[in-house]
Amino acid sequence: MAASLTLLVIVAVTIRAALYRSSLAEPIAERVEVVSPITAWKRVIEGLALLDLGVSPYSGDVFHETPLIIYLFHFLVDYAEITFMLADVIAAVALYMAVKDFNKQVFRKQKFALEANRYPADCLELIRSPTEMHYIPLKVAMFYLLNPFTILSCVAKSTCGLNNAVLALFVLTTIKGNVLLSAIFLCLATYQSIYPLTLCAPAMLYLMQHQYIPVNPRRASFWWFVVQYLFMYLGSLFVIVCLSFFLLGSWDYLPSVYGFILSVPDLTPNIGLFWYFFAEMFEHFRLFFLCVFQINVFFYTIPLCIKLKDHPVFLMFMQLAVISIFKSYPTVGDTALYLAFLPVWSHLHRFLRNIFLVSCVLLACSALFPVLWHLWIYAGSANSNFYYAITLLFNVAQILLVSDYFYAYLRREHHLTYGLYLKKKDGSEATLVLK
Amino acid sequence: RFQGDQLLPYTHVLLQNLLFSFSSGTQSVTVENFLRVLTGRLPPSTPRSKRLLSDDRSNILIYLTGHGGNGFLKFQDSEEISNVELADAFEQMWQKRRYNELLFIIDTCQGSFGNLFKYNLNIYFFTLFVFQHQPDLAIGVHLMDRYTFYLLEFLEDIHPASKANMNDLFKVCPKSQCVSTPGHRTDLFQRDPASVLITDFFGSVRKVEITTETVNLTDPIKFIHTITKLHPHPDPPLLLFLLHPPSSPLLPVSPQKPKQKDWHPPDGFILGLWTLILMVFFQTYGVKHLKHIF
Repeated sequence: MAASLTLLVIVAVTIRAALYRSSLAEPIAERVEVVSPITAWKRVIEGLALLDLGVSPYSGDVFHETPLIIYLFHFLVDYAEITFMLADVIAAVALYMAVKDFNKQVFRKQKFALEANRYPADCLELIRSPTEMHYIPLKVAMFYLLNPFTILSCVAKSTCGLNNAVLALFVLTTIKGNVLLSAIFLCLATYQSIYPLTLCAPAMLYLMQHQYIPVNPRRASFWWFVVQYLFMYLGSLFVIVCLSFFLLGSWDYLPSVYGFILSVPDLTPNIGLFWYFFAEMFEHFRLFFLCVFQINVFFYTIPLCIKLKDHPVFLMFMQLAVISIFKSYPTVGDTALYLAFLPVWSHLHRFLRNIFLVSCVLLACSALFPVLWHLWIYAGSANSNFYYAITLLFNVAQILLVSDYFYAYLRREHHLTYGLYLKKKDGSEATLVLK
Repeated sequence: RFQGDQLLPYTHVLLQNLLFSFSSGTQSVTVENFLRVLTGRLPPSTPRSKRLLSDDRSNILIYLTGHGGNGFLKFQDSEEISNVELADAFEQMWQKRRYNELLFIIDTCQGSFGNLFKYNLNIYFFTLFVFQHQPDLAIGVHLMDRYTFYLLEFLEDIHPASKANMNDLFKVCPKSQCVSTPGHRTDLFQRDPASVLITDFFGSVRKVEITTETVNLTDPIKFIHTITKLHPHPDPPLLLFLLHPPSSPLLPVSPQKPKQKDWHPPDGFILGLWTLILMVFFQTYGVKHLKHIF
């Protein structure tokens, strides 16, 4: 397996290197679907140039990345391509190792449940076997590395790749059960864009189960663990924020980075939902809708946590998807991260209802994005409504994908508890509905 | 060749253009260009050779000759610059620290309009009522006025180590010889004129080729044609800028934009960050943890 992983890494690096050398690198780096005002490489260069001239990089509305990125690229700006390729490779390898460990745990739990006879007799075909699970980590790494979204994001040198790498490392350290490192990587991811904050909950749930602490709000050990984790998380966040202050000597990165993410002043079109709404909105209601949209990202955490209490890794997947869809400046790189998890749930394929529709819509939208952009901006025969329609369709497809997997997962769990062929009270076949 | 050169009447000695001669083309010597060069408000495409790249250690000599009147100077006989405009330009230069000391010689008729300047600093004024000098027999018009002649004669004796000071310059053209009234105004200058060396303003070391050859003007028709095209009267307006930073003559002055220096992260930050990383590393990757991770 390590050999095939190495081969995969080599192929991926070759593709990226080939694209870097080709003439496509420049147009890709300017596509609004691939880079956003936060993640654009052009802005990183601009920020570094401003710093060399003695001016704060956050003056003017140019640079919206964190000071640690400045520190990183101050030394690595000449090796930027290698850095981003390395970030992709690190993310893929981290996901590979995480999924391998997760599979082991899944299989172990299943074995215990089988021995305890917890499964009804007719759902034995739903039981997973090690042979089918053997290639899943490799498929995960492949889905991440060879995904066109990731390749585009890497060739454009979008800092989303670094964010993905940090999130992948967070997933790895959480699944391995290392509390401190999980808190630190989550803190780094949150420090870069605020939204991974919601990943605290699945991380805490998973780590509690890993340490056999019962997930019961009435018990003191639950709260003690929550306090520990939050202390580590908030403490490292505080340390990193103060360290960033010392890098540049001023606090003006706070409004530039976090104020920018939260208050969405830049309405460049992207694949997200914010720009069109805020472009057409009256100023009077702007704050209200801003709050509504931002709360929308964080809102799904609590209900999902309650429902998926026993399945924290799936909760992490759902949470990552929700962040990628509803964040203020999404790019295709964010989509690529949660799409990489899909092979982990490949055993749900028999319960997925909309997969054909979703895949067609996603492919069509990905193809239509540049077409309608061209029609809108260059040819002038379309307007922003066309592009926003495609954006909406893309996001609807993503939401449909996520909810479909949610349905399939819950349905499988239900079958594992109540049997595969369900009968209503009068003996006829029952249908399951997700309420 | 007649653009920007001064012709001595008898020996046809050509004085090469001095360090920064702006009169490279008659069409570029306009009031607007002159003021733009002085104040530095030039379009970004202007080459460096056409810019006055002075800073607050530069001494500037401005020598204006041509026609003038009460309160104004003529540029190329088609435009005028008034004393107020010049005063404003000098004030802008002073505010932006574009000169240390400025010597302003006005070699025109009624050049005393400089007396009306009120608020500039560090400016030396030389004014003059111009009177025509000997006519040149070959060309037939007056080529130079007396003041210029005597000034040139005086300046030819100045070498870079000369100790002649401003008072000597004032005495170059007494009334008996110049038949005009030279004036100077030193109240805007902060130093005593006797302590100011001529070479502070005139001392730019520049290769001057003096030739004793005669110039054979073979085509008389074209020659006069050139003269009348330039100027109906003897002196084409001549602007000489001599830039002399006191330290060394030919060193280019520093540009106005901020210097590019590489930014480095502060040492405390690097120390703190790597200490933290090492601490976390050793906290997690103690030897007994290693086999769990890998």
